[in-house]
Amino acid sequence: MLEIKNLHKRYGKTYAVSDLNLSIPEGEIFGFVGPNGAGKSTTMKIICGLLTATSGEVYVDGVDALRQNKKIKEKIGYMPDFFGVYDDLKVDEYLDFYASVYKIKEENKRKIIADLLELVDLSRKKDSYVDNLSRGMKQRLCLARSLIHNPKILILDEPASGLDPRARVEMKAILRNLKDMGKTILISSHILSELAEMCTSIGIIDNGKMVISGTVSEIMQQVYSKKLIQIKVNGKLEETVMILKEFPFIDKITTGENLIQAGFDGGDDDMSRVLSSLVTRAIPVATFAQLEGNLEDVFMKVTKGGEEK
Amino acid sequence: MMINPVLLKELKVKMRNWKAVAIIGGYLFILAAVALFITLANSNDMYASTINPQLSIGAYTGIAVIQFILILFIAPALTSGAIAGERERQTLDLLLCTNLAPSAIVIGKLLASMSHILILIIASIPMFSIVFLYGGISALEIAQLFGFYIVTAIMAGSIGIFFSTYVKRTIAATVLTYALGIFMSFGTLLIAVFYIRIFYNFDYQSYLPLLYLNPLAGFSSLLTSQFGGQYGSIMNMIPGLYTINPYTYKGPAPWLINIYVNIGISVVMLFLASIKINPVRRSIFSFLKKK
Ligand SMILES: Nc1ncnc2c1ncn2[C@@H]1O[C@H](COP(=O)(O)OP(=O)(O)O)[C@@H](O)[C@H]1O
Ligand SMILES: [Mg+2]
Repeated sequence: MLEIKNLHKRYGKTYAVSDLNLSIPEGEIFGFVGPNGAGKSTTMKIICGLLTATSGEVYVDGVDALRQNKKIKEKIGYMPDFFGVYDDLKVDEYLDFYASVYKIKEENKRKIIADLLELVDLSRKKDSYVDNLSRGMKQRLCLARSLIHNPKILILDEPASGLDPRARVEMKAILRNLKDMGKTILISSHILSELAEMCTSIGIIDNGKMVISGTVSEIMQQVYSKKLIQIKVNGKLEETVMILKEFPFIDKITTGENLIQAGFDGGDDDMSRVLSSLVTRAIPVATFAQLEGNLEDVFMKVTKGGEEK
Repeated sequence: MMINPVLLKELKVKMRNWKAVAIIGGYLFILAAVALFITLANSNDMYASTINPQLSIGAYTGIAVIQFILILFIAPALTSGAIAGERERQTLDLLLCTNLAPSAIVIGKLLASMSHILILIIASIPMFSIVFLYGGISALEIAQLFGFYIVTAIMAGSIGIFFSTYVKRTIAATVLTYALGIFMSFGTLLIAVFYIRIFYNFDYQSYLPLLYLNPLAGFSSLLTSQFGGQYGSIMNMIPGLYTINPYTYKGPAPWLINIYVNIGISVVMLFLASIKINPVRRSIFSFLKKK
């Protein structure tokens, strides 16, 4: 449904997106994860025809999106990360406006708008001015707007960002609904756990490059072939780090106050060798544990952001 | 054919607004005050009878001039924020990612602003009909006047739209639009005066083509041609605008050419705006690069 090949986007000398490849089959929900400034929004805008690519190819439903820009617009529903609303319109007038933009026939409009308002749970607000809606409601309204022409693929740029926990839950419920309706969705977030449960596949992007992508379980496996150990010491922090660095199977050492985390690529006997050498050199070890990583740790590990903690 | 959705939306919003009513009210008040003032001023020194063509021509000229100036002021203000405002409110991307053509967005915005101008013009019709009843003015002349208003408004509005797409901020776009407007209205006159002083030593008995860009010159040409210059044309006092001698001046009236020039400017401005607003436009010069 969506195919991106060797996509590059350059601003001056820096690449916002570089050599990005991505393929989303029909009906999949692809989670696009990366820290701020990673290039998620840039990629999405290029797909939607709001930015030109420096080089590369994008196909939406088999249509060359970079060259036949007009054709793909009816296939795509886009929700930007930052957007405004026409504050002097009422909720149903707002949707009515976009419906006429997409040339939806007058006789179908009422039903489409009513259904969408039902879907995003705004039916009761239909006569309110858009300006008076809460942030979460505006977000849902914008989602309804992106669905008005019944697009095949949805591009949602951080739809849950800036929402309070309750609004997040509501947004998630709607997205699950859309998934059940069989929409193909590309959704981004800078918080991995937010997407992990609902996505079929995930791609982690950092500095414009796709670091890792695949199904959720594939990523877990790939990342968890390496373990994560956590050591708590009562002092001698720097000395501990020096010792850890002597082991070839330990890398990516990060430190906090009296706390050390490190990648660990060895077996159980390697683990005990580390512990015994720490103890023989009189490091006051308080705890020594292998971490049960959750998705958040994966993310921290894969993206460079984790090292500078 | 479907009505442009951008136009439709803007009309709906604006008509709901009390501001629109207030603007029309204030506008009519100014026009009426001017008409009254001119009539009173003239009737004092003319011992005029109640029905007097001279009087009504004075009132007509007064209303026409004031209305023209108001339109020149209002049209850019209505359009210079049209696109920049969408950008500032972060609604432009939402429009551009739909299958609405960039030109449809630009034209929708222009038509929405022009519909306001049209409402102001229509609101002034009763005042013109009073003048009309007093005699001395024909329906054709009023039609010419309204036609000139509309074309000038479209020209000024298109310049506003142009800057609104090429400049990010509404304020900057508005300033630039008025700056260009002032240049067209007064700058061209100054250039004409200096040019004729230097190269012809004021011995230039024709209409300088540069002044076809000047809406004020076009407008005074319209008024003088309507009254055959019987009020002593102010135009002949300015070098480069010498048109009045019917024995030496041949060719179409300057205001007619001015209308064509305005239409040309509008088309170019709107075209450039449509290109600029399209985020994935190919450069206008891309066909040159290929070769
Ligand atoms: N107009 C621009 N000019 C220069 N750099 C830009 C521009 N837009 C985005 N960038 C840069 O491109 C990178 C990717 O940005 P973005 O796609 O918005 O990241 P994300 O959405 O993942 O947070 C950032 O480093 C940002 O600074
Ligand atoms: Mg972003």
